[in-house]
Amino acid sequence: MAQRDRTLTPPFSHPRWRAWPGRAVALLLAGVVAAGFSGLLAEWQWRAVSDLWQSAYLRQVIWFSVYQATLSTGLSLLLAIPVARALHRHPMFAGRGLLLRLTELSLVLPTIVAAFALVAVYGRSGWLNTALDGVGLPFRWNLYGLQGILLAHVFFNAPLAARILLQGLERIPANQWRIAAQLGLTSGPLWRTLEWPALRRVLPGLAVFIFILCFTSFAIVMTLGGGPSATTIEVAIYQSLRYEFDFSRAALLAMVQLLICGSLWLVASRHGTNRNLVPGANDQPGTLRRDARRRDRVLLYLFLVFLALPLLAVVFRGLPGLLGEAGDSQVWWSLGRSLSVALVAAILSCSCGLAILAASQLARHSGHHLSARLLESSGHLTLLVPALVLGTGLFILLRPQLGQPHQGLALVAGINALMALPFVLQVLRGPFATLPPNSLRVADQLNLRGSYRLRWLLLPLLRRPLLLAAAYAAGLSLGDFSVIALFGSPSAPTLPLLLFQQLSAYRIEAASGTAFVMLALLFVVFYILNRWGDRRRRHPASRRLAAGEHAHA
Amino acid sequence: MARLLFLILLTLSASLAWAGPTLTVYTYPSFVSEWGPGPAVKQAFEAQCDCTLEFVALDSSVAILHRLRLEGESCTADVVLGLDANTLSDARQTGLLAPHDIDTSAVRLPVDWQDDTFVPYDWGYFAFVYDTQQLPDPPTSLDALINAPENLKIIIEDPRTSTPGLGFLLWMRKVYGDQAPAKWQALQKHILTVTKGWSDAYFSLFMNGEAPMVLSYSTSPAYHMAVDNTDRYQAAPFDEGHYLQVEVAARLRNSPHPELARKFLQFMLTPAFQREIPLKNVMYPAIDLGDELPDVFDRLIEPSRTLYFEPQTVAEHRKAWIDEWLNATAR
Repeated sequence: MAQRDRTLTPPFSHPRWRAWPGRAVALLLAGVVAAGFSGLLAEWQWRAVSDLWQSAYLRQVIWFSVYQATLSTGLSLLLAIPVARALHRHPMFAGRGLLLRLTELSLVLPTIVAAFALVAVYGRSGWLNTALDGVGLPFRWNLYGLQGILLAHVFFNAPLAARILLQGLERIPANQWRIAAQLGLTSGPLWRTLEWPALRRVLPGLAVFIFILCFTSFAIVMTLGGGPSATTIEVAIYQSLRYEFDFSRAALLAMVQLLICGSLWLVASRHGTNRNLVPGANDQPGTLRRDARRRDRVLLYLFLVFLALPLLAVVFRGLPGLLGEAGDSQVWWSLGRSLSVALVAAILSCSCGLAILAASQLARHSGHHLSARLLESSGHLTLLVPALVLGTGLFILLRPQLGQPHQGLALVAGINALMALPFVLQVLRGPFATLPPNSLRVADQLNLRGSYRLRWLLLPLLRRPLLLAAAYAAGLSLGDFSVIALFGSPSAPTLPLLLFQQLSAYRIEAASGTAFVMLALLFVVFYILNRWGDRRRRHPASRRLAAGEHAHA
Repeated sequence: MARLLFLILLTLSASLAWAGPTLTVYTYPSFVSEWGPGPAVKQAFEAQCDCTLEFVALDSSVAILHRLRLEGESCTADVVLGLDANTLSDARQTGLLAPHDIDTSAVRLPVDWQDDTFVPYDWGYFAFVYDTQQLPDPPTSLDALINAPENLKIIIEDPRTSTPGLGFLLWMRKVYGDQAPAKWQALQKHILTVTKGWSDAYFSLFMNGEAPMVLSYSTSPAYHMAVDNTDRYQAAPFDEGHYLQVEVAARLRNSPHPELARKFLQFMLTPAFQREIPLKNVMYPAIDLGDELPDVFDRLIEPSRTLYFEPQTVAEHRKAWIDEWLNATAR
């Protein structure tokens, strides 16, 4: 009897379990942001508003932030679209796996390592200029200035864009490719009839996402910008908060940033979600494509080199330090701590992501489109609000008892999870909204609800995007320095903290070794999670359900 | 089960009774890292204080001040360690600090230090560190640097976000006064880039060979000479003199253990603390260490003049001088 009861009402099957976890996450985020702003506004002075209008410096800072972010976004997408198409045309491309892993890696590298890597290749005495010299060309590439910022932002974001666009292309149903192949459509018509309509749904959200990432970029803009004319709003906020104690100005600038990025975000999300999305497909339709070309391969190899060279520089610089590091137990302990924080952060972040998506889907189905959009937007707050403002908010809300390493690390994992949430949502949103209708119908017929629905429907169907999202979250957490510096404990450092400790103690060689270990760890994490995602599903029952076979039986 | 619980309670209470009071010190991360002075200082102080010394590392030296302002009256720390001459005026203004009330006669600094709140624990000069392999003959003065051939590049840190960056801004101001903006414009062609912090400049750029000179401390070569065993990186002595950096500590007015905090500040000026400074914080000790000062410190540059603004002056003009710098260079 008890057995039967449970099958009728599976755990967590009450409708509020679909709504409330997501709402709770959204409320938590809104609370942190509100606390952060209220902490700053406690010392509000109206003078700050007139300052904003009058200061040529602030106007220039805002203009430059918008300008470089627009250019960076445009360039990233211009590169990402052909790369995604080429990747989709060549599912058997040798090095495809490596290329995909590298595309995931570049985004999550800590900026100091990324700056080091880019400088080693594209710097004044980097490999590129050495090569140009070797060939005898008089031309020298100058990294510092707007071109350096754009290069770095393309290096971070084009791979991410390509990855997400590829996901978009893979959701085009196989039967459409079959028809296209029968009609003998070539590249141009294929683009117009299949690819562009599929990408058009992803592009606005993706573009705004990248725009925000570039808009809020900080250390890399300063390092490669060549001087104070390359100043983003984030720098000005840091300056006002940390050095001038001008809390009103900091709050005002943070609001300007929130306003610019947030309104773009709302516009994009209106475009992205109200359309009828194409149902997802899990086949590999790439083999059906007849428009593969040789120049795709050239493009892919060039892109591979573009991504791999800077990372190779980290490997080369790190090798000598690694030998010394290997004997140092500190680095292995840090690795263990980093890994456990990252795993917890990844699981938390994916759970929060699913919760938000479930709640917003429920709201949308009940006709509350605004609250659906607000729910999803809340997940992006950590991206829109400057880290220092969030840090202040968290501090006011939590007043952590610092010095307890494990408590500190748990807190770090939690905050990392929230910081990774925008990335997780970006990866999960499309697949979640386009679950195959057959499977949903079967699940509804079987009255599959609550944890059973999660276990037998969502997890199998979302396996690949979920693991990719988890990999991003874990990677971001592994490379995180800012949160760990606020709430971690120096006697129990994670890898990025160890790296900074070594740097400030002049242990350059050891630091290079640590950077290498961090890179290798990131690669392994992405490799394992992707392997796991690609493996065929083990449970035939869930596979049948996922494929909607039951309906035809 | 009950017996186990009893045992746990017993050990817990025993460890609590043994631990004595806990002195909480806010500081910056590199001070307490494995290679910083923190661990040795903790051990030495705990051996004589019958207490527990707990370092709380905030993300940088200015973050200490930021935290003080956020916590205000409810701050439960006993000591802050790691402010410098350029932030101490702001720290004083919070009204959260108490007079140190200790004997500071042991302090040896290149300037006369009279302050009833802040106790210096180390000091150094800002200087350009150069790579002798890339640049055998570095400029010998700020003037020479400004007038050097255009292909001589330097890396500096941003005065808006970093301590050495602000130090260099004050250095230029001290040497050139109202001429500073013009000189900044003249220097512009040599500046490869302006980084957010010291680590970005030193690690990402200088160690990658991007420029032969980087803004750092005159004591930086000591570490390379003593630990890396290389003379390759040296500081360039400038004729105009070098700007002074002094790092200070203070105790808090609301400290739960005022007497212990005072004892710690006094301990800071003893060899037991100071001998950890030269190679672990890579700065000069604030007292005369005699023979205990590592030999490599004799091989560091000794500026002919010490340049220094009173903390009050810095606090009053910092914003104006930074704006002046922005106007001169951000075009």
